[in-house]
Formats: sequence, structure tokens, C-alpha cells
Amino acid sequence: MTGEKFVKPIKPKVDINKVNTHIIPFEFEYFEPRTVKEAVELLTKYGGEAKILAGGTDLIVRMKQRFIEPKYIINIKKIKELNFIEDRGDYLAIGAATKLREIEKSGIVKRKFEALYEAVRSMAGVQIRNMATIGGNLCNASPAADTAPPLLVFEAKLKIVGPNGERVVPINEFFLGPGKTVLKPNEILTEIQIPYQPEDTGSAFIKIARVAMDLAKVNVAVALRTEGSIVKWVRIALGAVAPTPIRAYKTEEFLVGKELNEETLKEAAEIVKTEVKPITDIRSTAEYRREVSGVIVKDALLRAYERISKG
Amino acid sequence: MGKVIRFKLNGRPVSIYVENNELLLNVLREKLGVVSPKYGCGIGECGACTVLVDGEPVLSCLTLAIEVDGKEVTTVEGLAKDSELDIVQRAFIEEGAIQCGYCTPGFILMAKKLLEENPDPDEDYIREYIRGNLCRCTGYVNIVRAIKRAAEELKFHVSRAKQTQ
Amino acid sequence: MGSLASSSLKQESFRYIGKKTPRKDGVAKVTGRMQFAYDIYLPGMLYGRILKSPYPHARVKSIDTSEAEKMGAVVITFKDVPRKKFNIRLVSVDRVNYKDWEVLTDHPKYVGEYIAAVAAETEELAQKALEAIKVEWEVYEPLLDPFESMKEGKPKIHDKILFGNKEVTVKNNIACRLDYNEGDVEKAFKEADVVIERTFKTNRRYHMQLEPKVAVAKPEPDGGITVWTTTQTIHNTRILISQVFDIPISKVNVKKLPIGGSFGSSIQTNLVTLVAVALALKAGRPVKIALTREEDMYDHCSYQMYFRLKVAAKKDGTIIAGELENIMDIGGHQIQAYPLLGCLLGWFVSLYKWKNIRYKGIAVYTNKVPSCAFRGYGNPQITWAVESIIDELAEALGIDPIELRLKNYVGRGDLFWGQGPTVKSVVKSDGVPELLKKGAELIGWYNRPKPGEQKGRFRRGIGLGRGFHTSGAGGRISGEVIDFTGCILKVNEDGSVDYITALQDHGGGTLDAHAKIIAEELGVPLDKINIIWADTQTTVYDVCTHASRGTYVGGEAARRAAREVKKKLLEYAVRLLGDVVNPEALSIKPDEELGQGVIYVEGMPDKKITVGEVAREAWQRNWGSIAAVVSYRATSSPPAYTVYFVEVEVDTETGIVRPVRVVAGADVGTVINPDLAAGQLHGGFAQGWGMAVLEDTPYDPETGELMCRGFITDYKIMTAQDLPKVDDFIVIFANTHEPTGPFGAKGLGEAALNPVAGAVANAIYNAIGVRFYELPITPEKILKALKEKEGKK
Repeated sequence: MTGEKFVKPIKPKVDINKVNTHIIPFEFEYFEPRTVKEAVELLTKYGGEAKILAGGTDLIVRMKQRFIEPKYIINIKKIKELNFIEDRGDYLAIGAATKLREIEKSGIVKRKFEALYEAVRSMAGVQIRNMATIGGNLCNASPAADTAPPLLVFEAKLKIVGPNGERVVPINEFFLGPGKTVLKPNEILTEIQIPYQPEDTGSAFIKIARVAMDLAKVNVAVALRTEGSIVKWVRIALGAVAPTPIRAYKTEEFLVGKELNEETLKEAAEIVKTEVKPITDIRSTAEYRREVSGVIVKDALLRAYERISKG
Repeated sequence: MGKVIRFKLNGRPVSIYVENNELLLNVLREKLGVVSPKYGCGIGECGACTVLVDGEPVLSCLTLAIEVDGKEVTTVEGLAKDSELDIVQRAFIEEGAIQCGYCTPGFILMAKKLLEENPDPDEDYIREYIRGNLCRCTGYVNIVRAIKRAAEELKFHVSRAKQTQ
Repeated sequence: MGSLASSSLKQESFRYIGKKTPRKDGVAKVTGRMQFAYDIYLPGMLYGRILKSPYPHARVKSIDTSEAEKMGAVVITFKDVPRKKFNIRLVSVDRVNYKDWEVLTDHPKYVGEYIAAVAAETEELAQKALEAIKVEWEVYEPLLDPFESMKEGKPKIHDKILFGNKEVTVKNNIACRLDYNEGDVEKAFKEADVVIERTFKTNRRYHMQLEPKVAVAKPEPDGGITVWTTTQTIHNTRILISQVFDIPISKVNVKKLPIGGSFGSSIQTNLVTLVAVALALKAGRPVKIALTREEDMYDHCSYQMYFRLKVAAKKDGTIIAGELENIMDIGGHQIQAYPLLGCLLGWFVSLYKWKNIRYKGIAVYTNKVPSCAFRGYGNPQITWAVESIIDELAEALGIDPIELRLKNYVGRGDLFWGQGPTVKSVVKSDGVPELLKKGAELIGWYNRPKPGEQKGRFRRGIGLGRGFHTSGAGGRISGEVIDFTGCILKVNEDGSVDYITALQDHGGGTLDAHAKIIAEELGVPLDKINIIWADTQTTVYDVCTHASRGTYVGGEAARRAAREVKKKLLEYAVRLLGDVVNPEALSIKPDEELGQGVIYVEGMPDKKITVGEVAREAWQRNWGSIAAVVSYRATSSPPAYTVYFVEVEVDTETGIVRPVRVVAGADVGTVINPDLAAGQLHGGFAQGWGMAVLEDTPYDPETGELMCRGFITDYKIMTAQDLPKVDDFIVIFANTHEPTGPFGAKGLGEAALNPVAGAVANAIYNAIGVRFYELPITPEKILKALKEKEGKK
């Protein structure tokens, strides 16, 4: 074969001969603990070789794609203490294994945490939302996780249980990088605590994607309180523009005390663009993500503001 | 390293041995002869494998068979009563909502559940509800029409049933 | 859909044609009982898996299958299959068919090409066995860009291939080429008042039919093989299997099954079918191989084209020249690159009367997934480019785009050769003026904004795209394409009718159309027509369901069969009725109450007999079967014209485009299945919208893999939520009649897609005043272009 230049074997990113999305072609042991305690014991016993099965909409996919091959599967769907939506006075507690569909159907989420409601509604399709859990969405630690920005703006706390008891982590400390969280191999996320916001808080979530059922190119949540048209308090969080979902602190700082007019929004959008660190991938370009981050922050602020005005 | 699971499939009790790593889709198709749920992507993007588990639509390609132990599974094979088509099934035929037919069982189950949750859906509601099911033939127009038609017919049935009471 | 009423006048004389009827396979499809190839499970069946090349261009230095065999798997490699080159598509006549395929190869030319295969008792075991195969590779520099690929000194993707039975050497990775000249373009460019030249790049789309390719092969005791597979042509699949494996055609039987969408991706015999046959022959047991979605995405895609287009016109709007250079990136193998070079030219010259024409077409190998036909066969690509440049021309000339099109399009009385230089005929039916007029009214064409004049964030625009597709590939002379069909029609002993054809229905309702044509011609109730799921052993040849030929060609064959059967029925009826002078004295009409066709003498109500009675008597009196076998070649392939008016809304801050309203107009001659014909336009728009703004399969420049790795997480198609509302999608049909078609009908499937991307591109231009020369027109590109435009101000 004259003229064929030999190149160093390139390393394919996916092993095309191992992927088989018809089946899970490897064995594993399967457990259905009934309590968090049992689940933690199993995790402690099997450590890094075990994976928690909550909704399965991510775990099973990655098993079929052979990105992971756990030897032990711990199905937490039957743990009743992980599946609830509960008013605890100061905050709303959501069990980590609560399905997205239950969250979207919950009246209290829709009334009190509109950004979270919108985020959940923007996710996948009905079937997936019937399976996927909020805890799963967070623990996968995708930079594009749709529930993360609203929980960031509501400054939710995450309850984590391990062999040595429980700890509570603020959500802005939870994510470490793509697929990485502060969870230790023997720990389990058990509940999400979302503080109730003052009555005059408005919130909104906006997602930009290729089609209606898609992962975000960029997503944003804002929570806002105003006095008249002056920003009293604001939280802004974005996804898919950095290795983890992020808060836009500088933009928030800039906005406080400003009148929410076209000029302010325009400036805020510019500041957001300096806070994001997006990449180019198959879903979008860094340039586009940066540009649109500003636009949807502006849009989300306006939407949240409208909601305050409407009461 | 699996176990015998017992569940109801389209109303009849089933008990069958499954391995831990077997998926509901494959067990239904290969071991139980229920082939209406289709493989379309295997990763939860197309909705062709939709079945109802305890009345809720889920994706059988991402469900371990072992998980349906003690539950009820429904597929389109279980919809027609006494060989009479369900209103939704009829509406799909009458509105020309079927082309190749590969995605049809998934859509019909979604439509059925949609109308159970909301008997009076507007078009936005319908389109949001079925966005997890892909169809490459119809552009969805006649599918949306069929669901609207089924909703009308169900309403008519309900009001007629009330009148005869 | 009140618009359908426009064509109802002429159809009132028909009993079934043009009437909405429930499709015959509807009940099976809504109850989950329709059996697709994917649903075939045979006793004793093994599951197969295929070992694929992880590299875009490599050679196998060694392969060790011993571990896989130890696991009990049946294994085949490139060493175990016939080492001859062939083309997986047999639609072209053999002497012009380029052949560069093998069943399994040691020299893969794209990531995903087949090297070896295994079969085992379960898919899990087959998968494990597959992973136990060890391969040593020599890897070459991948060529992912056709212009790179054509340069001197680049790796040879192919060396020697066959053209017919002649060996040819591939130079500079050019697979094949075609040039054409008519008139003098240079002179015309000089004489023109306006000349516009642009380059265009299309996307590389994936069919995303819902059913990935599947094959089940069962060895028979006589050395033959039975095959169930996803195919648009059971006969060509049969012949290819016979040729590759040297099995007599009579011993190969391919079953006809419904197909879960195809859109051109199974005009060729998908290679998986041949692998399943090879495995089954070795195993001596039935073998099923179902491709996974990711394997399917590494199996087929559309032709990606780079156009340079130069057009010229006089001040009065008369077009006087069209020059087209077409570089096609065909991927690692030829499926129909050569005939496509001709067809692309045919689409081009049949869109507008260029008068002076120059064409250069070059098909180039790259280390990418092999391209094949995708609904429209290059026509959506060239129509997008031409409809874009025609709008530019209209703007430069100051002429309304509709007027410019009406002045120059190829219409009634003009020479039409859509399928390429060897297929020419004169246009006899043409609904273009009617569709343009009605469509313009419905969309509000004359109130549309001026391009680029709008302010504000959300800007709306209206665009027009016009096009056509042929109805089949028939013609007066034999040419280079095989195009004929056939069927068997027999009246059963109770008056019901069996219709047996090899012709596939992809779901568009082709066979329902045939049933209506038969019922109409024969005068029996539609529910008496029984469509048989046949196979190659019980049918006569049909080339393939492609080229929008199902209704036009297949429907005419069915009509002719019905006519023959009717003749026999009337002859027998004359005998049975006693005093009727001859068959001409009789008529047949369906009697819905009797559920039978009734043969009667006009004006004499008592002189009658049912078709069922005639059939029964013919049986009881030993007169023989009432049946016909027809083989039919159409002598023309008339254009079905389509016109799309699309209104879009562009969010100038995010670049997102939303489809607001669609008016889809089609001239298909007589409409046979109104709801299903509308369904073709709905589906055509959805695919066209995806082509215009969304779909593409980019490659990883480092590894030669698809960027999406075959996962549809990153190959999106439109969902129900991304498309216009039911009431914002208007379908209109022209009131035309095609004299050469069955009851005046033409094709539709591909025409329903062809002009969409052009209409969308023109609508985007109308909204924001920016033109795009690369598909898809993504929000990223729109936003970037808008920023650049602002910067220039």
C-alpha cells in the first residue's frame, strides 16, 4: 500500500466492540436494602466496587456503554425514608430517591420554588422523569445537571449519611468536577433541604438546548427580591459553563442596589460572560455558551421580577 | 445469580427466573413473547420501549427485570378488551397517526396515560407529554390529532355514561 | 385540513381513491402484533455480534479467535467469507456498478467496518466471545475531509475495485466522476445581466429510522437459506446473497416484513444481512444479528456535498446559465455514488431551465461511514442550494421570487430528466402555478417583511422553497437503472382477492394505495382486498421501494393486474348469466351490503351475479383460477412537485429559530390516501426542518470516531414539542391528473422533503437578512453571523 502513512495507534474514546446497548453484558450482585443504614453497610463493605441504583437512567446507560462495570448494585428505590417531600417549617425536605415526576407534581415545589419546578419540567421526557431521582441528578455531578442551578440559588443543603453518622453540606460545596462530588464511596446522599425563601422572592429557570428533550447547552436559575424595582437580594447560578454548576457571585454583587432596568440587565449580562468558563463540545461552542449565558441570565431575572410583581 | 420474580403482565400472573443483569425489555420480548416494546436506542432517548409499571410509563430498556417483582406491567398487548380496540388505539388508526408503526406502541401507552392524568389536554400539554417518544415518519401531526380525538371521544363516552345513569 | 376539499371534485367519481380509509395494517400496529424483523425469534436461534474496526483506516496484522471459540461461540473472520468484491446495492445495471465491498475485511476504511463475527446461545455470551477476540492492527492516517483526501500522496483508501466486471485502479481517492456540458456557459455568463456564484456545504445526516438494522438467517436442509431482514428490496437482497455465497437463487428466500422506517438506508442490502447469512451457514443454525443503535449509526448516513454554484440571468428574469460543481464526500465505500452523480445533475437541470449547463461531479472516498440514499437522494441538498441562490437572484433582479420561479421552472411540456441523463420524458401534469398561488395567499406572502429591515429581538420571516421528485426511475429506454415491478392478483373462491407483491411499504401507505387502486379498478369492496406478506419465492421481481415509485409504478402494476382479472371475471360471468352477449355488456360495482362486487347489466337490475358467485362457480365447475401475473415497466418518471412556504421566528439574542407556520403544497396528481399523503408532508417537513437547523454527524479529528460515538444523546431529531401546532400546518394538494399514472397519481415521499431546507433558509434570510451557506443553520452560526453583521455596521 504505497503512500499509506503509518501513524501511531490512536486511542479511540469509546471501545466500539464493548459497547452494546441491548444488554448489560456483565454480572453483578444485586441488593435491595430497605433502610439507609443497610445501604451504608453495603457501601462500606463493597466500597468502590459498588454503585447505587436510584433511577437507573444514568447508571444503566453508563453500564451498557461500559463506562463503568460495578460488581455490586445497590438499589435504593425501596428505601421508604429516601422518598418523600416534607415541609419542615424552615425548609422543604426532599428525599434523595424522590422521582422527578413526583417533584413536578408537588404543589409546594411549584408554589415556593418555581425555578426548581421549571428545571424539573425541562428535563428529559415523562418516562425518564418517572424513573430519575433528584439525588441521582445531583450525584452524577454533570456540569449540566438541571436541578443544580435552582438548588444553588435557593442555597439548599444536602444531608449525607455514612458509617460514622450524618453530615450536612451546602450545595455550593458539593460538586468537585465533572462526575465528582464530596461523597465518599461509603456515603449516601439522603435528603435535599431547601430553605423557604421570603414571600417576596421570585425565581426562574431557563435552559437552552438543541431540542425540547435534551441536555442543556447552558442553563440558569435566579432567585430575586426587590424593593420596587431596586434589587434587594439576588442569587444566580449557571450550568454547563464550567466543570461544575456555578454561582455568578460577581454578577449578584453588581446587581444588589441597582434598579432593574435595561441598562442594568445589559451590564449584568456582560459580567456573567466574564464569570463563565465554558468549553466547546458536540452540543455547542464556548463562544455561544458564553454569549447566551448573559442573555438567559437577563431573561431569567426579568421573569423572576415579573413573578414578584404578580405576587 | 438471579431469582424468580412474580409479577402481573397485562393482567395475568407471571413467574419467571431472571438474572440480575437482565433488562425488562429483553425479558418481555425474548422470554415472555411480548414484543410490542421495541428497542430503539437502549439509552432512554427514544421511548420505543415504553411500558407501564404499576400504571406509570417507564423505559423498559433501563429497567432491570428483577425490579418489577411484585408489580404490574402493561403493554399495548394488554389494552384491547375482549378483542375490542381501546379508544386511543382506534383514534390512532382513524387519524392516520401510524406510518411504519415501530414507535406506535410507545406512543399509544403514553397517550393512554396522558388522558388518564388529564382528560382535557391542550396541544402544548400533549406535545410536552410525548416529547420522550421519537417518531421519524409522521412529524407528530397526526399523532397529536389522534390524541385530541381520543380525548373528545372519551369525554363523549363519559357524558353519555352519565346520561344513562 | 379543509384544503383537501379542493381536490375532492375530481375524485367524487371514485369509490375508494381519495377517500380516507383506515389502513389495513392499522390494527396489527396498534395492538403490538405487527412483526418486524427485530421481532423474529426462531427455535434454536443463535445471537450474533460483529467485531468492528475501532480505527478509521487500518489493516489487521493478526487475529486470534481461539478464546472466543473456547467459549463455545461460532466465529467467522474475513478469512472465512468469499473474497470477492461486490456492491451491496443492485439497483444499477451491473456494467455500471462500482464494487468495493467485502462481507468482512482485513482492511477497514472507517470506524465500525466489519472484521469478524460471532454467534452464541445468548447475546451476552456472544458479546463476551466478541470481546475475547484479539486483533493486532496497523493503523493509517485517517482522511476525514474530501479535499484532503483528493490531494496527491495521501493514503489510498481503496486501490483496485471493480466497475462491472472490470478491475479499475482508484486514483487520489476519487471514487468516480461525471462531467456534462450543454450550450456555452462562458458565453452566457458574459451576456448575462446578473451572475451569482456561491459555495455551499451540506450536512452529513443520519437516517435515524426507529428500527436499527436486523437480520435473521436460517439455513435450510437443501443448502439454501431463508432470511428475514430490514430491507426495501427483498429480491435484490436475494440476488446479492446468491451472488456472494454462490447459492442458486431458487434456494435463497427473503421474507417480506414491515420495516421500522428506512428513508433510503436499506435500498442496499445492509451488510449485517450478509454477515448473518455467513454465520448461519457456518453454524448450521439460525442466527439473528440486531444492530444496536450505535452500530446502526456507524452503518449509514446521507451524502455530504460541497457545491459551487454559478447562475446567470437577463434583466427580465430569464435564466440563461447554470454551472454546478459537486464534490461528494461518500465515506469508505461506494453504494450509489456513481448513479447519484447523474441524478444530482438530473435534479439540477430539472429544477430550472438553465439553457446553458456545465456540471462537474466528483465522488471522493474518506475514512467515514459510507453514505447512501436518504429520502430525496441528493435532491434536498441541491434544492437547498438552488432555492437559496434563486432567491438571491430574485433580489438582485428586483423580481418577486414567485414570479422568477414561475418564469423559469421546468414544467408542463418541458423535458424532464430527474433521474439523470438516461431517463428523459416530457412533463404532462404540473400543479406548480396553482400551489404557488394558493400557498402565497395562505401564508400571507405579499405582506412578508423586507429582509434585514426588522428591529427588535424576535424577528419573523417567510420563505419559499420549491422542488420536485421523480415518480420512480422508469423511462422509454433501458438506461443504467433497473426499474420494473410486478404482482400477482387472484380472486379466491369466495370473491375475496389476494394481492401478492414484493414491493415494500415503508409505512407511507403504499400498499393501501394499491389496494384502493385494485378495488377501484375491479369494482369489489376495499375490505375484500387482502395484502399478502409474501417472500421472494412467491412473488415476481420488484426492484426496490425507492425513488418515490411505490404508488406510481407499483400502483399501475396493481391496476393492470386488476384489469386482467376483471376481464376473466366478466368472461365467466357471461357464461354464467346465459343470455348476455359478451363481456362488454357487463359492469362491476361493489355492493357494500352484500360485501361483494356485483357484475350486472346496466338498466337490468335482475341480470346480475356477484364476484363471489363467479369465483365459486369457476372453482366448482373446474374452469380454473381467476388470476393474473403482471410485470410492469413505466416509460416515464414524472415529477411530483412540492412547494413549501415556511414562517420562522428568530431570537436574535440566542440565535434560536422556531417554526411558526407551514404551508405545504403538493402536486401528486390524484391523491389516493388523503390522510397518509398529508402524513408524508408532515414527516417530510419534520425531517427537512432537522436538516435545515439541527442534524449533523461531525467526526472526531483525532480518532475518526463519530463525535456522538453513535449515541443519539448527541444526534438529536425533532420532538413533538419542536414543531408547529396542528392548526399552523396547512397541507394543500394541486388539482392535477397525471395521464401516465394509476388513476392519475404520482409519487410523493421524497418530494415531501426536498424543498424544506431551502424554504427554511430563505425564511431565515427574510427574518434577519443573513444568508447561510452551510447546513445545519444552528443557533451558534446564526448568533455568530448576527454579531459579525452588527460589527460591520
